[in-house]
Amino acid sequence: MTLELLEGSTAIARSAIAAGCRFFAGYPMSPFTGLLENMSQQMPAAGGVCLNAESEIEGVNMTLGAAAAGARAATGSCGQGIALMQEAIAEAALNETPFVVFNMARNQQDYFQSTRGGGWGDYRTITLAPKDVPEAVEHTQLLFHLADRYRAPVIFYGDPLLAQTRVGVSIEALDFGPLPPKDWVLDGTGGGTGRSRQIWTWAMGKATDPGPGPDGHWRAIADKFDAIDKVESRFEQAHVDDAETLVVAFGSAAKFVEYVVDELRADGHRIGWFRPVTLWPFPGEALAAATAGVRRVLVFELNAGQMLDDVRIHAADRSAVRFIGGVSIAESGLAYGELMDAPVIRDRILAAITGGARP
Amino acid sequence: MERELVVTGIGGQGIQLLAKTLASAATREGRHAMLSADYGGEMRGGPSKASVVIGDGPLRALPVLASAWSAIVAHHRFSEPALARLRPGGPAIVNLPLVDPASLPAMTVYGLDATAVAKDAGAPQAIGFVLLGAYNAVTRLVDPASLAEAMEELLPPYRKQHAQANARALAAGAAALDGPPAPLSVPAGAADLEEAPR
Repeated sequence: MTLELLEGSTAIARSAIAAGCRFFAGYPMSPFTGLLENMSQQMPAAGGVCLNAESEIEGVNMTLGAAAAGARAATGSCGQGIALMQEAIAEAALNETPFVVFNMARNQQDYFQSTRGGGWGDYRTITLAPKDVPEAVEHTQLLFHLADRYRAPVIFYGDPLLAQTRVGVSIEALDFGPLPPKDWVLDGTGGGTGRSRQIWTWAMGKATDPGPGPDGHWRAIADKFDAIDKVESRFEQAHVDDAETLVVAFGSAAKFVEYVVDELRADGHRIGWFRPVTLWPFPGEALAAATAGVRRVLVFELNAGQMLDDVRIHAADRSAVRFIGGVSIAESGLAYGELMDAPVIRDRILAAITGGARP
Repeated sequence: MERELVVTGIGGQGIQLLAKTLASAATREGRHAMLSADYGGEMRGGPSKASVVIGDGPLRALPVLASAWSAIVAHHRFSEPALARLRPGGPAIVNLPLVDPASLPAMTVYGLDATAVAKDAGAPQAIGFVLLGAYNAVTRLVDPASLAEAMEELLPPYRKQHAQANARALAAGAAALDGPPAPLSVPAGAADLEEAPR
């Protein structure tokens, strides 16, 4: 394994191309811009296409088109731009077109956007939130696999630290196992034969070959997301067995929490941590088990309390749940504020343990 | 063991390039490295800070360092937040006369006038490489040859003409503190501060 010192955006772009991504479209927006630049630099040599779209709406719909034609395709932005993409993401979820959406978010305020969605209909988006650049490389490839496996748009939840930190990483194609054949793609081979295919949110079919229609189709889609919910949740945890205090965090914040919890453990505190690796499906059963014996469940996230809802739904005792995160934005508006810092997190955890006022 | 370096100075001093060069040199040696950059509006004279972590295995350090073992202080302006995170006893390379060694009472301070050394080496624009050469002479974190190779690799094609001057700057910085380098100041009780391997 040879390590290369790569900026997160470069590593993610290289990993996507290693996974077979051959179409990328997006509109620049910091800190997503680095990924778009890297894709535009690297995609031609891979025989793919990268387009600087006129807007996020155009970018996501071109991606939907490329995916419908069978390409491994992706788009991205930060949360503000992904807000504009919600209609296309909902359509793709309901008409079963797989692609990856890279949310190189400015902070953690897009948890609801990722896990609840902003489009219409009964759909969900599988969302992976890596904690550092090496894991982002792996998640990038896993997301293309999951998108194809379930024929659904999926979300990568990144942030400025993942986009801009340079780390020694190794980029290799990863094998996640076999996938169903893409026998549904609109590749033109059935044209004029009476067997042309459709990708249609309403699934009404053709006069000669009626589809299930919206009732049957949307029930089937809802059942599919139920099935995904049961098998695709992922999590990490440590020091749970004897913990009095459990800290729950996702993405980069979880890496900071892990660091602080290790320190507090060394100081003799009975404390552990739990990290949802998939934000949806949320690892609810695992969290219920992890919180069963603890006195307090602390939720740390850099927003006003979004994942907090999911923790309250699943914690063994919701009255034990305390929020120790908060909104924290850099002066530029483009990155985290001072809350994403180990000493600050340590103070907040200790204040919650000792019952003192929050600093 | 992980070793952390914070580099602090002002835009135009080569802060970002020296940090990137060190991280790249360590990576060339097959070690794990992390580089975080922190700068304002990409302007000359504005705040410029970077951090580098080097280790033999996957790194535990955070992209916002909780604390750091060592420092390169190229300019006193904007340096306070970075210096507040230094663990006592570690090495600090300071650029005299822009930095007062007394501003780092808890550190083992090594000083050199990077501007003068760079001029004498015929590389007046390369004070960042002078400081990096000096830092590596003290810490021996990487092979000096790896530094020179990484520096050359990072030069874009239109700047290749600077490779020799940069190499002279790296060597001159190392020579300025060579043999063995004597600290300007050592914190009281420094022997007790010698870090156990982490």
